[in-house]
Amino acid sequence: MLSTGNDIVSLNAINVTRTKQPNFYSKILTPTETALHQQPCFANISFEIFVWLLWSIKESTFKFLQRIDADTLFTPVKFEVSEIQIPLGFNLQNFDSSQLTGIDFDGLNAILSTIKFGDHIFYSNSLIYRVFVASVVNNTEDFSQTHWGIKRIDSDDIEIQSAEVRAFLADNLPDKNIVISKNPRDIPVLLKDDLELSIPISLSHHEYYIAYSFQLPV
Amino acid sequence: MTRQEILNELKKVISPYTTNKEMLAQINEDTDLLKDLKINSANLVDIIIDAEAKYDIEIDYDEADKMMNVGSCIDVISEKIGQKQ
Repeated sequence: MLSTGNDIVSLNAINVTRTKQPNFYSKILTPTETALHQQPCFANISFEIFVWLLWSIKESTFKFLQRIDADTLFTPVKFEVSEIQIPLGFNLQNFDSSQLTGIDFDGLNAILSTIKFGDHIFYSNSLIYRVFVASVVNNTEDFSQTHWGIKRIDSDDIEIQSAEVRAFLADNLPDKNIVISKNPRDIPVLLKDDLELSIPISLSHHEYYIAYSFQLPV
Repeated sequence: MTRQEILNELKKVISPYTTNKEMLAQINEDTDLLKDLKINSANLVDIIIDAEAKYDIEIDYDEADKMMNVGSCIDVISEKIGQKQ
């Protein structure tokens, strides 16, 4: 089941007061997940960032699944983050570069999570900076063929976000003769000579941040 | 409330979360919140919370996941208003 799912949340765009209200976060987190934030390892991650971290993990998982089954519905509380590992001594950092790309997440202080959805198990790597939370999900713990990128852009206009994230992905694809399109189910796909490639992609944008992931076969 | 009345009120609930005001002015029951109105998925919970406050109803997660287009939003809101009466 080759797929990928990613998500990015701009932390400048979130409503902190609302995020902390139980009627809001209870639509995203289960009580068990909410309790995870009490663990000492979350000392340097505020509750509102924790909520949006789990949102990004769950939305990424949904996007991974939606590529396989377009009828999948996104009900955040049905995607259960059962385990979450914060790197020792984790501290929020500034995002000093305009963009960041990589394969796998080694050496990046990524937060590892395990997600359950029905009988399925997924794994995510998340990066948190002061300005955004970004996640990428796979169905194995092996991210060695998971390519990803995050970039700050100058406009929060939706059309520009959409064009920029496609251009950013295109710049980082191994083959420059590939076209980014959408299939009839509205899922983004890669085409070469009008044929869909078996390289799943995921695109995300929020406010001034855009992100992509794509998965090559291991 | 009729479906048209709910739709008119729903427009006001959705308005802060879409920049596509032209499409908002023309919404109908088939309008998709994400694809047509270009609402960021991160704002879907905001819309549910605002709809709950507007209609004094509670929408649980099983219902919220259906609220992807205007028609299904009206279905859920209409059903909840009916349960109150």
